[in-house]
Amino acid sequence: MGSRRQFIASLLAASALPTLSWADAGNPRYLAAAREPGGGYALFGLSVAGRDTFRVPLPARGHAAAGHPHQPLAVAFARRPGTYALVIDCADGRVLHQLDLPEGRRFNGHGAFSAAGDVLYTSEIVAGSGRGLIGQWDTTRGFRRIGEFASHGIGPHEIARLPGSEDLVVANGGIHTALNDERSKLNLDTMQPNLSYVSAGGRLLEQVTLAADLHRNSIRHLALRADGLVAFAMQSEDPAALAPPLLGLHRRGAPPVLATAPEAQQTRMKGYAGSIAFSGDGAHIALTSPHGSVVCVFEAAGQFVGMLNRADVSGVGPATGGFLTTDGLGGLCRIKGGALSPLVAAPRAWDNHLVTLPT
Amino acid sequence: MRHLFATLFALTSAAGPVAADLDRVVDAHILPGYAAFADTTATLARAAADGCDPDPLRAEWNAAFDAWMAVSHLRFGPVEEQGRSVIIAFWPDDKGMTPRSLARLVADRDPVVGDPEEFKEVSVAARGLFALEFLLYDPQFQPQDPYTCDLIRMATRDLAEIAAVVSEDWHGGFADTLRGAGAPGNAVYLSENEGLQVLFTNLVAGLEFTANERLGRPLGSFDRPRPNRAEARRSARSLRNVTLSVQALQQLVDTLVDVPLPETDAAFDGAAWAAAALDDPSFAGVSDPGDRLKVEILQQSIKAIEVAVLAEVGPALGVSKGFNAGDGD
Repeated sequence: MGSRRQFIASLLAASALPTLSWADAGNPRYLAAAREPGGGYALFGLSVAGRDTFRVPLPARGHAAAGHPHQPLAVAFARRPGTYALVIDCADGRVLHQLDLPEGRRFNGHGAFSAAGDVLYTSEIVAGSGRGLIGQWDTTRGFRRIGEFASHGIGPHEIARLPGSEDLVVANGGIHTALNDERSKLNLDTMQPNLSYVSAGGRLLEQVTLAADLHRNSIRHLALRADGLVAFAMQSEDPAALAPPLLGLHRRGAPPVLATAPEAQQTRMKGYAGSIAFSGDGAHIALTSPHGSVVCVFEAAGQFVGMLNRADVSGVGPATGGFLTTDGLGGLCRIKGGALSPLVAAPRAWDNHLVTLPT
Repeated sequence: MRHLFATLFALTSAAGPVAADLDRVVDAHILPGYAAFADTTATLARAAADGCDPDPLRAEWNAAFDAWMAVSHLRFGPVEEQGRSVIIAFWPDDKGMTPRSLARLVADRDPVVGDPEEFKEVSVAARGLFALEFLLYDPQFQPQDPYTCDLIRMATRDLAEIAAVVSEDWHGGFADTLRGAGAPGNAVYLSENEGLQVLFTNLVAGLEFTANERLGRPLGSFDRPRPNRAEARRSARSLRNVTLSVQALQQLVDTLVDVPLPETDAAFDGAAWAAAALDDPSFAGVSDPGDRLKVEILQQSIKAIEVAVLAEVGPALGVSKGFNAGDGD
């Protein structure tokens, strides 16, 4: 029988001891949620070659996930506005924790870890107003909620940590979504999305907004390059817009640069980018449009490269020499050398995102 | 025709193989449809090259539009490359971009009409069938004005070129890609199911477009009908386009599916009756409560086709609506 102090020390040691790594989960490179043929949902780990490394059932339709930088832990988020996020041990499939939100909060689909992995940040909204919050969770103490701060916008969606920094970048989509089954959008006439940089303590460092005529371009998803270049993907809520820009590029302190394909081709995106990623070498950016069944590829400086076809394509992540995509037909496809070629056809419908794990 | 085969296939398909025929939908529906669109647009371009007397041009333009309606629901493969389908049929146009773009070309006497390659850089709003409708029907434009005539000639030539490429690309390769869905090495359709899926998705999207856009736009709301939003109202083709689109979608089902579809057949028949009962070519009557009802009935009859198709055709093909495609997040 030891003192209370010893007891706490041994607890901390215990939580630090099991230094499992991603190798214990089969070395997945990616995470992706899917609907399975029986109608259930699961989270999968995928290898570089697109093969399953693990499968963990989910209680409801998933959206995205966040992978811990070192330990084989994934946090799976429900489709927004969601009430659950599960911390999953990807080595054995156990659900280690369920994140419990304070009253009146909803998860909004995405999250990110601090560099050391000790804090998880989650994009959230205040039910009723849509006001955005970033929730903070202590991963070393059972993913206990330790705080929250403003996202500095309405309806934050994806958040990411800047490389080599503890600062976060937040895509505040600007849309106030009703918490009903239809997910009605309540403020399309007045929506004002932004890209906000915030410190780990919640201080607003920089905020980027678009020209007034693009106030209906919801900034939703992010891809970051090691040098700090932020690429953001948008979804237009202006049904009369013919070919709205869907890709933005931003560096701290500089104005944003918007990029589009030539008008006729840009219309194929249907005003909607589902996911965004840099290529493995950082030289290109891919945007998917499941609505148009196309992947649009740009150079990292914004020049249009080309469009590739794949039905219901939505998830995209970096791969050696290009990209990997996932789609609602179960396909995993490689984009390399300007061509899209199938790698695997899995018996499941891949959900919106392909999440890349830290390497 | 389908029902002759139906009982035979019902016997063989019970164990699960799909009751569908990709070869037949390619040979009897898609390829002839695109060939006719290429032919009619080529005829239109030749007629424009001969002169810009509006009457004969309107006749050829209507023939080309009829041919487009037979394939307008097919939104995959060559017709989507380079955004061709949007160039062919730029509608709806809530911001009035088509008349504005055309008026600017005419006012500037923009020399772009003299160079086929440069014309490809013109906004999609000033190209294709709907730009030509404005030029041939709207009093704002005089087809016989020399510049406008040049613009008509270039727009018809541009349209015919696009239609020819789409038809050639289908005949020259994409037809085999769809037929060979699931064959080893087919990088577009990884299974037969994926080939069926794209057709089913286009079938459902085609029904929804006709119900929600072609009919829903002019209907607006009871308190605020929007007759000026009817598709191709200047040429009084609005109802005709609805009728032809439903016929085309029925032909897609007939050529694709090999099992009896009693609810779907009945629903298509119902829509054909509702369309035939309507004597309102441009849906101008949506502002009149009595005439409006008939347009609403037509819209409901097309929504009923979608319900039947989801219940009968989807299961027969072993497919359902896309997972992410109709979704947003």
